[in-house]
Amino acid sequence: MTAVPLVSMTSISKAFGSSLALRDVSFELLPGTVHALMGENGAGKSTLMKILAGVVRPDAGTILRNGVPVQMNSPREALDAGVSTVFQELSLLPNLTIAENMFLGREPLTPSGRIDNAAMARATRETLKQLDLDLDPGRLVGGLTIAERQFVEIARGITANADVVILDEPTAALNAADVEILNRHIRALKSQGKAIVYISHRMEEIFRLCDVVSVLKDGRNVATVPVASVSPQELIAMMVGRDIAELFPPRGDGAKSAVALSLDGIRLTADSPPVRLDVHQGEIVALAGLEGQGQRELIRSIIGQYQPVAGTVEVKGRRIALPIAPASGVRRMQALGVGFVPEDRKDEGLFLDLSVAHNIAIGLNSRHSALSIARRYRDIIQDAIKSMAIKVSRPSAPVGSLSGGNQQKALLGRYLALGSDILLVEEPTRGVDIGAKAEMYKLLRDFANRGGAVLVLSRETIELIGLCDRLYVVHGRSIVAEMPAAGASEHAILEAALQR
Amino acid sequence: MSALRHPVLRAATRIPPSYVVFIVLLGALWVLKPAMMNPNILGTFARQVVPLGIVVLGQLLVISSRSIDLSAGGVILLVNYLISSGLLGGIDPLAVIGICLLIGLAVGSVNGFLVGKRRASAVIVTLAVSIVLIGLVEYLANGKPPGDVPAFFRNLYNARPAGVPAPLIFWVGLAIAMSLVLSRSVFGRFVASIGSNPVSAHFSGVPVERTVVAAHIIAGFMSALAGLVQTASIAVGSVRFGPELVMNSIAATILGGVIFGRGAGVWGPFVGVLCFALLFVVMTSLGIQEPGKLVVQGCIILLAAVFYGVRTKVN
Amino acid sequence: MSAKIAGTRIAGVVSARDSRHGLWFLPLLVGLIGGVALAATAADFATTQNLLNLAAQAAPLLLVSIGQMLVVLVRGLDLSVGSVISLSTAILSIDAPATVTIPAVFVMALAVGLVNGVAVTRFHVHPIIATLSVTGIAQGITMLVRPVAGGTIPPIVTVLVNGEFLGIYMPLIWVVVAILAGWKLIHGSRFGLHLFAIGGGDTADTFGIASRRNILLAYVACSTFAALAGMFLAGRIASGDPNIGTQYAVDSITAVALGGTQLAGGIGSLQGTVIGTLLLSMLANGMNLLNVSSFVQTAIKGLILLAVIAIQPRKTIGL
Repeated sequence: MTAVPLVSMTSISKAFGSSLALRDVSFELLPGTVHALMGENGAGKSTLMKILAGVVRPDAGTILRNGVPVQMNSPREALDAGVSTVFQELSLLPNLTIAENMFLGREPLTPSGRIDNAAMARATRETLKQLDLDLDPGRLVGGLTIAERQFVEIARGITANADVVILDEPTAALNAADVEILNRHIRALKSQGKAIVYISHRMEEIFRLCDVVSVLKDGRNVATVPVASVSPQELIAMMVGRDIAELFPPRGDGAKSAVALSLDGIRLTADSPPVRLDVHQGEIVALAGLEGQGQRELIRSIIGQYQPVAGTVEVKGRRIALPIAPASGVRRMQALGVGFVPEDRKDEGLFLDLSVAHNIAIGLNSRHSALSIARRYRDIIQDAIKSMAIKVSRPSAPVGSLSGGNQQKALLGRYLALGSDILLVEEPTRGVDIGAKAEMYKLLRDFANRGGAVLVLSRETIELIGLCDRLYVVHGRSIVAEMPAAGASEHAILEAALQR
Repeated sequence: MSALRHPVLRAATRIPPSYVVFIVLLGALWVLKPAMMNPNILGTFARQVVPLGIVVLGQLLVISSRSIDLSAGGVILLVNYLISSGLLGGIDPLAVIGICLLIGLAVGSVNGFLVGKRRASAVIVTLAVSIVLIGLVEYLANGKPPGDVPAFFRNLYNARPAGVPAPLIFWVGLAIAMSLVLSRSVFGRFVASIGSNPVSAHFSGVPVERTVVAAHIIAGFMSALAGLVQTASIAVGSVRFGPELVMNSIAATILGGVIFGRGAGVWGPFVGVLCFALLFVVMTSLGIQEPGKLVVQGCIILLAAVFYGVRTKVN
Repeated sequence: MSAKIAGTRIAGVVSARDSRHGLWFLPLLVGLIGGVALAATAADFATTQNLLNLAAQAAPLLLVSIGQMLVVLVRGLDLSVGSVISLSTAILSIDAPATVTIPAVFVMALAVGLVNGVAVTRFHVHPIIATLSVTGIAQGITMLVRPVAGGTIPPIVTVLVNGEFLGIYMPLIWVVVAILAGWKLIHGSRFGLHLFAIGGGDTADTFGIASRRNILLAYVACSTFAALAGMFLAGRIASGDPNIGTQYAVDSITAVALGGTQLAGGIGSLQGTVIGTLLLSMLANGMNLLNVSSFVQTAIKGLILLAVIAIQPRKTIGL
């Protein structure tokens, strides 16, 4: 094929503050291809696609559309240029109807100047029918299930009359049957001569669906090759840049010790089956499975941030009935030595404008009455900074000035300083570089080796396999399988999840 | 905006605007009316803003906790009415003070409950509470001229131990106490954490709801204290004041570098209140009337807020 | 935070019975019951004359509330509407030709709306702070222009709000036109839909909606509605009054909240706002008929506002 590329991005660079998200990346989309974009989280995939979608502006580089230089200054301009995006984070507005979401920003008008609701409903119903979806276009998106929303989002991207469609992890919330429907549509788009960017972590899908794959690593495009010419193992090696095993510290000896934390009879919703799991001292246990299957709800039930229908938590022999009141759950669990490390360190974990010292000591201070005198905990903070190798000029520096990896360490440091002996960790390495990842793994393993118990969840299954001792596979708000991490594979986990 | 990247300018934006404004106003006064630069005169003017200063001590606490209290006017009016109407005549003045402070605590508790526990919008809640209190006082006082303020209060107000007006000493004492609470107590850490990020605060084990409720209770208490000082400052009761005091308390707090979720301490707002004292002196000496004052105050709040908006953007 | 907020909104929408119009039928029910009760207890309530009075009382509040609602839909709040009303009456009462004063009112409204909107959208000033400081400025200017109530209003304005046109009572025409204009803006245009979208989540921009420009326009529209209310009031009292607008900021917020519009943005309806306005006006009218002191009325309004707010649960604590 010597066709003119639909899109050709050349030498794109982008920095956020001091961290370089993209360095000199070039990327080309040919008509009639499904182009996979792979890379670890934080490798720059999302940033690259946000630039193409007009959400983020590059610091340097050019974008050619059908061979003509263009500026994508806003999502509007990108849409007008025929680039349509289905973002990973759900961007639909819950208070609008399906039809309104589909046409938002380009609503058809009647001759009298009103929004043509009838036309919108008609077109929406047709598009949804193409996707085998029987939804009333007048329903509010807020009332849809996650999978339904994902499909509406995809339908929106497909109908935008675009010939470049970016799909950012479209299958994360879909079951196997839905994935098949989606694949059919992607092939249909391809046969119409459109270019599809397909971002996914699932090897199977990449190999079944895509023609070309580009691998990003640390903001660079390390390879663009035909999918047929590589193996999954080669792809992973390209993404990680080194043998994955080197990242992870050796596992525990597997000797059984006392149960530190156990969940029993937890039913997340009225119609979901009861869940039971144990975490022993000295053990790192994962909640694995496809995204959005209830892992997060399960872990958050323990600290009162999700209200399950029924169940009990047993912490070191003390039984607590669920649900726990949201306002006091975190404090109750901290008092019992359970630390919860939230997924989103910027929005849920850290106080970015406050000092590293404050960020670490706040957990300790929270254990005291509001009326007591706040201690500085200088030694504990110094100790944490030193033992965790947090790179910071002085403890009074705002934590927001640190790199992602050091921020993550400071966050973990808060709960370690508390003397927690059970950690609930969501996404331990989200958006941190590969070196910091290895350090986080080591810190968690050291914690376990000292007798601590860790329950962890992550989007990155490879990480869970490498880090943990034992895996529970969660699917449909219940545990469908349990397996030792040694010898487990992404494939085995997916299979276990989808068996039911 | 790029100019603000310059390190010197960025350092300058960390100073509370009140310090700069204070120096500018002092300079203006020195040039315009050198005769006014006299500790006695300035002390008298400073004494006038003590009620505002006390309200600000509560206001900065709630604003640091990402809330706001617009009910001070209603509390002050109620306290003023209770003392000047003679309704509590014949009761020991200390008991009267106690009753007034309890009212402040009660109003603060209502605010705190609705804002912290019910999670209702603080603006609306405290505004509504203020309306209810003002309506109540106006109804009670309907037709009756306000009475005299008992001599006990006026004597306290006019006392000048060591030549310094007593209300000033009281205010500075309260400010030091509040400053210590914020910088030294666990409660202060809680407030700073909630101000920075309420969600993170929750996951760190900070009792967010309780802290917000407590901040409102303290603010209510401060309003009652301010009401007592305000009442003592006038010979007879008044049915009409309060609204501008609330607005000024927010203005002084923002001028002092405390903005929603960005607590900077007690002394920025403290100097912010002093700015208002100086502003009154300068404007009065220039013959600027009430309308002009409103315009100038409005401009100062807006500019201070814009300044912080720009700063937030840079960060 | 954004994910959390989105989650909350979803819950809010679902509880509002799959509609983004909010709980407007509840105040409607209360209003109907209240109306019947008033008709039964106050002999003068259900007379034609009184109902026309009610329309005249409700018209300015309705105008302000529709404007307020536009701002509330995008998670804002405009406390400066009262001072805009007062300033409008003050400008109209200047001894100058109507061809000068009437355009001046709208230029002023445009300026106020722009200052509010630019401060909020460009400088990230909290809406309350921005509109509160603008209130001070506008009120100060009002007191400079018209220190005490008085002056005369151009005849064209008084004619437009008093008497009849084609046999229809003028204030009634204002009410109908305000409702039609409000409906067009909120439920009949792309602008309205985009306001809902902006209030509904942080992602409206990714749909190609210029959030900042739409929010700015909402503030300008709000000030313009307030200026129209000021014109109406000036025509009714036939003079300028520097304090006439004082209670309208709180009253309009109460009316909007009473009509089921959520102060967190993205949910609400014009019918709700109309019902909220009528309910509030009916309350004032009825209490006047029953000789309830105006101070008690103020207190009752405050309590209603508290009750309405207390039953609207939110996720965030604070402002």
